[in-house]
Amino acid sequence: MSTNPMHQFIVYRIGPEISLGNVDISFTNASLFMIISALAIISVFFVGTKRKTIVPTKIQLLTELSYTFVSKMISDTAGSKAKPYFPFIFSLFMFVLFCNMLGMLPYSFTVTSHIIVTFALAAVVFIGVTIIGFANHGVGYLKLFIPSGVPVVLLPLIVIIEIISYLARPVSLSVRLFANMMAGHTMLKVFGGFVISLGIIGGWLPLSFTVALIGLEVLIAFLQAYVFAILTCIYLNDALNLNH
Amino acid sequence: MKKFDVLSTRLKIAKKKANKNYLNNDKENTSSLGAALKLSTEMVAAVFVGSIIGFILDNWFDSKPWLTIIFFFVGATAGILNVIRSAKLMQKNND
Repeated sequence: MSTNPMHQFIVYRIGPEISLGNVDISFTNASLFMIISALAIISVFFVGTKRKTIVPTKIQLLTELSYTFVSKMISDTAGSKAKPYFPFIFSLFMFVLFCNMLGMLPYSFTVTSHIIVTFALAAVVFIGVTIIGFANHGVGYLKLFIPSGVPVVLLPLIVIIEIISYLARPVSLSVRLFANMMAGHTMLKVFGGFVISLGIIGGWLPLSFTVALIGLEVLIAFLQAYVFAILTCIYLNDALNLNH
Repeated sequence: MKKFDVLSTRLKIAKKKANKNYLNNDKENTSSLGAALKLSTEMVAAVFVGSIIGFILDNWFDSKPWLTIIFFFVGATAGILNVIRSAKLMQKNND
């Protein structure tokens, strides 16, 4: 067992090496955990919606609560026009949530602690929202970069600033999730290492810290999935309603 | 009869308190932690993107390091703007 706190983030290959051209597309532990979380989501929702009773079972309650939670979030932040995008935001939220939560299990791997995964998700959101914006408003979507009531002299500077703040969206979206997950898991591992090195006499203090931190990490795992989804809704709202 | 009245009033007050506490805790804890996590990256990301754009433009126009410096500050401005915007949004949502 390694004492290096960063050891848990290593991606290794499972099975044979597969390459497509120059790109290595082998099956790794990261892909394994993505598939596990996707299967977990599907099975939870399959079981939860199979027998629909008026007094819901626990798992049915879970599925219904998550549905209303996301649906309310979308209608609150992006309005009724965003209803068609519910499946996308719901899958995004559930995927990030399940990846985060599966990462909390011992010996598992946290997919969302790698920036390439979170950046890919954020890039899909960014490109999708930009396409939706242009499809709905045409060239008028560029008005997003020109706030109303700005003197003409300042306009070139303001437009550059607005473009940078628009381009910063996927970066902030991905860095937030990645940094929170990686920092939390590293911290847990560091405190766990203290328990071993301080032994049976001094190890109780870091052990209690670790227990408390796990509670915090579960909260953050949920919160980051929520923030990811709600920011997607906010960006979608900009693209659909254009009220800057 | 009197005893019953007293009890029901006390029950009412306790219920009110419990309800209030529950609501407050729920809202404050999660949303303020979320806000703290959200605002910090907003600033960093804009500065980062601004500097990258400046660096790329510098390579294009062969004007190192001036555009990087200028775009660093423009990025910082964009970051502050982003932070103010999301703070305003949070305030609107809280009301």
